[in-house]
Amino acid sequence: MSSTLGVLSDAERLFIVHGVQDDLRSDGRACEDYRHVQVETDVVSNTSGSARLRLGNTDILVGVKAEMGEPDPGRPKEGKLEFFVDCSANASPEFEGRGGEELAIEVSNALQRIFNSRSTLDLTALCIIPEGQCWVLYVDVLVLECGGNLFDAVSLAVKAALFNTRIPTVVVTADDEGQQEIELSDDPYDVKRLDVDNVPLIVTLSKIGHRHVVDASWEEELCSLARLTVGVTQKGTIAGLNKEGSGSLDPESIYEMIESGKKVGMVLNSRLKEALEKEENSKREKIGFLG
Amino acid sequence: MPTDSRRVPGPQDSRSPHWYGKHATRQEGDTRPDGRGDHDLRPVYLHAGVVSQATGSAYIEMGQTKVIAAVYGPREIARREEFTMKGRLCCELKFATFACRRRRQHIQDNQEKDGALIVLQALEPAVCLDRFPKSQVDVYITVLQDDGSALAAAITCAAAGLADAGVMMYDIVAGCSVRQCGERQLLDPSVGEELSQEGESAEDHGMVTVGLLPSLNQVSALTLDGHLQQQTAVQAVKTCIGGCQGIYPILKDCLVTSTRKKIPALDPKSSHASTEGQNGQT
Amino acid sequence: MAADFKTAQPVEYYRRFLKEDVRPDGRELGEIRHTTLNIGSITTAEGSALVKLGNTTVICGIKAELCNPTAEEPKKGFVVPNVDLPPLCSPRFRPGPPSEQAQVVSQLMADIIENSGVVALEDLCIVEGKLCWVLYCDMMCLDYDGNVVDTCVISLLAALKNVLLPEVTVNEETGSPVTDVEKKLPLNIRKCPVATTFGVFDDHYLFTDPTNEEECLATGVLTVVTTEDNKICCMHKPGGTALSESRLQDCINRALTRAEEVRKLIDETINSVER
Repeated sequence: MSSTLGVLSDAERLFIVHGVQDDLRSDGRACEDYRHVQVETDVVSNTSGSARLRLGNTDILVGVKAEMGEPDPGRPKEGKLEFFVDCSANASPEFEGRGGEELAIEVSNALQRIFNSRSTLDLTALCIIPEGQCWVLYVDVLVLECGGNLFDAVSLAVKAALFNTRIPTVVVTADDEGQQEIELSDDPYDVKRLDVDNVPLIVTLSKIGHRHVVDASWEEELCSLARLTVGVTQKGTIAGLNKEGSGSLDPESIYEMIESGKKVGMVLNSRLKEALEKEENSKREKIGFLG
Repeated sequence: MPTDSRRVPGPQDSRSPHWYGKHATRQEGDTRPDGRGDHDLRPVYLHAGVVSQATGSAYIEMGQTKVIAAVYGPREIARREEFTMKGRLCCELKFATFACRRRRQHIQDNQEKDGALIVLQALEPAVCLDRFPKSQVDVYITVLQDDGSALAAAITCAAAGLADAGVMMYDIVAGCSVRQCGERQLLDPSVGEELSQEGESAEDHGMVTVGLLPSLNQVSALTLDGHLQQQTAVQAVKTCIGGCQGIYPILKDCLVTSTRKKIPALDPKSSHASTEGQNGQT
Repeated sequence: MAADFKTAQPVEYYRRFLKEDVRPDGRELGEIRHTTLNIGSITTAEGSALVKLGNTTVICGIKAELCNPTAEEPKKGFVVPNVDLPPLCSPRFRPGPPSEQAQVVSQLMADIIENSGVVALEDLCIVEGKLCWVLYCDMMCLDYDGNVVDTCVISLLAALKNVLLPEVTVNEETGSPVTDVEKKLPLNIRKCPVATTFGVFDDHYLFTDPTNEEECLATGVLTVVTTEDNKICCMHKPGGTALSESRLQDCINRALTRAEEVRKLIDETINSVER
């Protein structure tokens, strides 16, 4: 696969486009079907929260680290979220050298876009001392393998990792002179969790021919000139939209794409929630990292 | 932060005086601070051919928002890469350090990189890239002052610059933004409206920017920040498209004027066709 | 025909013009391009000015911020000039860190500010040892058609004259600054430096205000910066053809007249702008 990545013959292209036209894709899915998703949380022990996700051949590892820092002067009562995406050369031969950098910026901007609204995550919960100290969540995304539909996979993994994140409880005490002191709880199980109910997932809709598909494989991505990434919350709110690729779209198909994005996104959200809760309740023995 | 040895250094850290001042609060009411209706554009001034050294250039003012764009090329690809039959379009976006209320840094930040990518993807569908193989066209955009809708202004300005450079295009690109505050849809928002926290708690709040190829009726750029219901999102996109259609005649006028200046002997009809390239679909 | 000659033998082409005491753009040797000025158009900056010298365009925006003075000089604020020659202004610049030329011009601006004493750094002090202003003067070239130094100096001076700083006091209890946005004060401009640049060609032709083309052909360049009390505050001659004393004197005299004109233009423009 590696050497042929990025090249598709006309016949293959035609085959995919015609298949999409008849709502039957080369791997047997319909236009609005996702591939099999596998998610596992708490996989890296020295992080505050982590998740590993496989979507088809795409493999993502996300670690969340909570550290104390200073809040932004413009938003003194809020904590911060910072994203760092690494498209390692393992993921795809195209990422060798500095090739992955551009894509990494695109992905982190997409994450930034869906997270920068205040209704996404209650950042005030991350405040320790207003204008003094707050929690900064460093979200590191590592792309282990890229098999298409990177944006969706990353957003799924980030949400799972944030669900898994545990922030130690801190107590702020003031001494006689009004000096504030921060005390960390001794109990490792005395932790705070994040409310991730409103965190959106990204659904990428790729325009192929006259129709659009969700969760495009890399072959299908090559057939598509224009994509729409739609952030969708559990309630079906649209949280972030972006057109990508070098093609253009007519307004009507944009409205259709938003509609199917919402539909698919809501299902995806509830399925992820189910899976995460189920995993947490069935405290099974963790299998190996690569298992 | 590492020190920048290539610039005159300042003190290690400094703060804007506005942090310590009282912020003017926006008055609630039906009209906007500048007296516009919700779906009105600000006055637009667009002028092509402002940079003498560039192949093509344009300058746009929308209210107090000021953006300048210069286009160089088609010229040789800077970095030697694989042979391509298609030309390459490169786009760079920079905010002047004094463009916003807070001082911006000299080094390109993430917002600028993101903006550059959006403008690039807005322009790409409009440019006949197959007409200049092995070469690239560079588009440099500088936001001199951001008083809201800077991204939309950058799209419009860059498109006018490309047309002024005589780069073959299928269509021109017009950009427009909408700010959704609860029920209200504010077309072409000013910076005060962009940053206002009014409606942040409401169900619907967000900012939508659209780039439109007006005569082909194709959307080449679309971004949305914030949380919107599906119906509201669709409505906001429609409002943006309406705004783009409003900017289109201004773009046309500007290009006709600049082309007339270049070729005084030419009659207006044919001069229009020569800047816009062939006006058809591939 | 003329265009071919120009491409094939630019130096000879140029020499023929100079022999007739005229330049290809129709100017006489001592003539300076038309100068236009637009002051205060950037409302997000504390002071701003756009200057056009022929085609060459420079915009200067000044952002004022608060900072702590250094321990060595507790009574002094800062003025930080930086010149940006972005790829937008000419095909000769490429994206990336500042070019060598930009660095040289930036440093020259810093020298001019320091040597002329245009702003007394003591004026920028708010509370001794605690709080002072830093003026970030960023000059950005939007169209590079030669003589960027003169244009930068005019834009810098005009922008400085346009600066309005909000009144800042320090709250004695908390020790944190308080800004009064309503009350704005202009900056005290002590001196008005103006630069005039000359190009030397073939060791004996001397012409003022070179264009981009002329700068490339010139064998030497000289910049003279003078203040209103007819003093020279800075001279910049980066190598090139040597100049005799009489020629230098000639340059200085011309620079003095030019500086007078520019100062008049700035004052007229400022008076015409309603504050």
